[in-house]
Amino acid sequence: MTAAPATATTISAASAAGGPRRLTFHGSGGTLFGIYVVNILLTIATFGAYRFWGKVRVRRFMLSQTGFEGDRFAYHGTGKELLLGFIKALLFVGLPITALSVAARLSGDRTIYIATQAFTSLLVFIFIPIAMVGARRYRLSRASWRGIRFSFRGRAWAFVRIFVVASILSTLTLTLYYPFFQARQQAFLVSNSHFGRRPFRFDGRGRDLFGAYVLALLLLVPTLGFYLFWFQARKARYFWEHTYFETARFRSTMTGGRLMAQTIGNWIMLIFTLGLAWPWVLVRRTRFEFAYLTVEGPLDLAGIVQEPQLATATGDALSSLLGADVGFA
Amino acid sequence: MPGAFKGYYLDGRSAARRQASIRLAASGLEIALEDGVRLWWPFREVRQTQGFYAGEQIRIERGTPFPEILLVDDTAFLASLHATAPGFGRRFHNPRRRRSRVLLTIGAAVTAVAVGAVLYVWGIPAAAGMLAARVPVSWEERLGQAAVEQIAASKRRCVDREREQAVGAIVKRLLEPQPSSPYTFRVTVVDDWTVNAFAVPGGQVVLLRGLLERTRTPEELAGVLAHELQHVLQRHATRLLLQHASTGLLLVAISGDITGAMAYGIESARVLGTLRYSRYLESEADVEGLRMLLSADVDPRGMIAFFETLRAAERGAPATSRYLASHPLAAERVETLKQLAASHTKGFRPLLPGRDWGDVRRVCGG
Repeated sequence: MTAAPATATTISAASAAGGPRRLTFHGSGGTLFGIYVVNILLTIATFGAYRFWGKVRVRRFMLSQTGFEGDRFAYHGTGKELLLGFIKALLFVGLPITALSVAARLSGDRTIYIATQAFTSLLVFIFIPIAMVGARRYRLSRASWRGIRFSFRGRAWAFVRIFVVASILSTLTLTLYYPFFQARQQAFLVSNSHFGRRPFRFDGRGRDLFGAYVLALLLLVPTLGFYLFWFQARKARYFWEHTYFETARFRSTMTGGRLMAQTIGNWIMLIFTLGLAWPWVLVRRTRFEFAYLTVEGPLDLAGIVQEPQLATATGDALSSLLGADVGFA
Repeated sequence: MPGAFKGYYLDGRSAARRQASIRLAASGLEIALEDGVRLWWPFREVRQTQGFYAGEQIRIERGTPFPEILLVDDTAFLASLHATAPGFGRRFHNPRRRRSRVLLTIGAAVTAVAVGAVLYVWGIPAAAGMLAARVPVSWEERLGQAAVEQIAASKRRCVDREREQAVGAIVKRLLEPQPSSPYTFRVTVVDDWTVNAFAVPGGQVVLLRGLLERTRTPEELAGVLAHELQHVLQRHATRLLLQHASTGLLLVAISGDITGAMAYGIESARVLGTLRYSRYLESEADVEGLRMLLSADVDPRGMIAFFETLRAAERGAPATSRYLASHPLAAERVETLKQLAASHTKGFRPLLPGRDWGDVRRVCGG
């Protein structure tokens, strides 16, 4: 036990000498396609029940094929958790909202219908940030690297407040508040994420993106919307550059042109194969994102200690139900 | 240790990685860490969680929920493990079975495609047809009323009671020889210059002015009406709705964990499916519509002539659009109808005798 810190120091020193660290992806689209095909077959055979276990297989593959410093990430979620989460999300959110709007439609009264419609829209609007936080909490809690779990410790209501404030201010300022909202959202999502006991940090500010956003608004129509890729790349670079873990800082060199070529290539692949190419698209996208991302600066891995947090899969299921899906990043 | 495998050990409490040397025994793993600590992991307490694919590090875990972990790069480790402890073979991945797993996966792929195709081509249309027959007519009527209000806002409707009655007489004549149906049919004419007509669920037929004024005889309009009435009687709109929803369900089942851009590919598959199915329904309405004309003693040459007019209008459209059009191209339709009508040449009774069709068709005014 006493020798452990010494080992970690040597590893860090070696990495520091070797330049920036990168996330690596080792999986192939063909292998993922195999998983996908078996998932389809079992999903049809079980009238859809297998899809939760299928999801787990895909997530486990994607994380276990992702490496950092020579070690792979791992996914610990189970199909049973996802199924229970789905049932809970359906019972407590999906069914009541659907029943309410069906009842209002059948009542035939226009006022009741409009009032119910407004009420359910408000409910869905509030549940979107709750679901995003829940999904992130669940997914991070089930991911690990070198045996140490990630976790998310932000409160859902704090995120709802950011959302509500943002939608009011965006309306009042004709969307000019958007970059500030994005920075606040990112700050909340990143600085509440932990690896072991240690938090990630984010110090980006909305005003640094304000110029880029105004430019994007001006160029949106003249470029037929294609300028959005440049804005997205700028935002991604800015966000990563202001994300830290301990003494290490992230950096991204993604450009708008490359992002556009990637995205359009992926759309073409999906459309011409009627969606069958998605395992390859997923792998392509992941490799693309990792290619521009580096972690720079010293990293003391021996000091990182396990500190797991509880989480259920309800938020994860809710985010799928509401179409507000979030990635791991 | 001679004959030992090199690996790394993680204690599940910190992210520090320690070098380990692992020796295989008949009932477990003997692990010696670089700092002299020795561990004994019985096989029955460990599980493999990584290393199922070529080139992937092998990962053995022990304990829950935050296990100790052993990582081994050498792929020969698994083969030795199976050789040393055959009794525990089921706990560990066997690289020698990878080939058969690949073959199994290919077999599964072929089966999945076949099952999907069968469901898609026969299963869904059959299920939609069966379900549509059980949908109450009153539901269809309510749905149809909402649809008509969408398509034909009341200010765009043409109202001319006397001329509409003449059109109604054609509908009546077509329905007379048919077994009684639960629907109340009604034809609405809309002031729109597009050449088109729709059948909405529940018995409503919407005729656009552009189509009505293009017909040269009452028999030509009867052909169009027979086609649209068949859409109603065969419950095509309801079937199409059910089919659309169930294709959606099938695609959701297939797609699993889909996000963002993935949806585009899925949606394109769905649109193609809907178009294909609606072409099938159009052909059915053509054939059944012609039979309807014949049983009402209406000369089918009117229907054929009108479809030929449409065909002339369609000339010049590229051949590839055939696969994307919801209606089968007029040339194909005309051929099918001519073959069906060939055996009937006599015994027709004229429609609207003594009326000037050029006057009747001006429901929307001159």
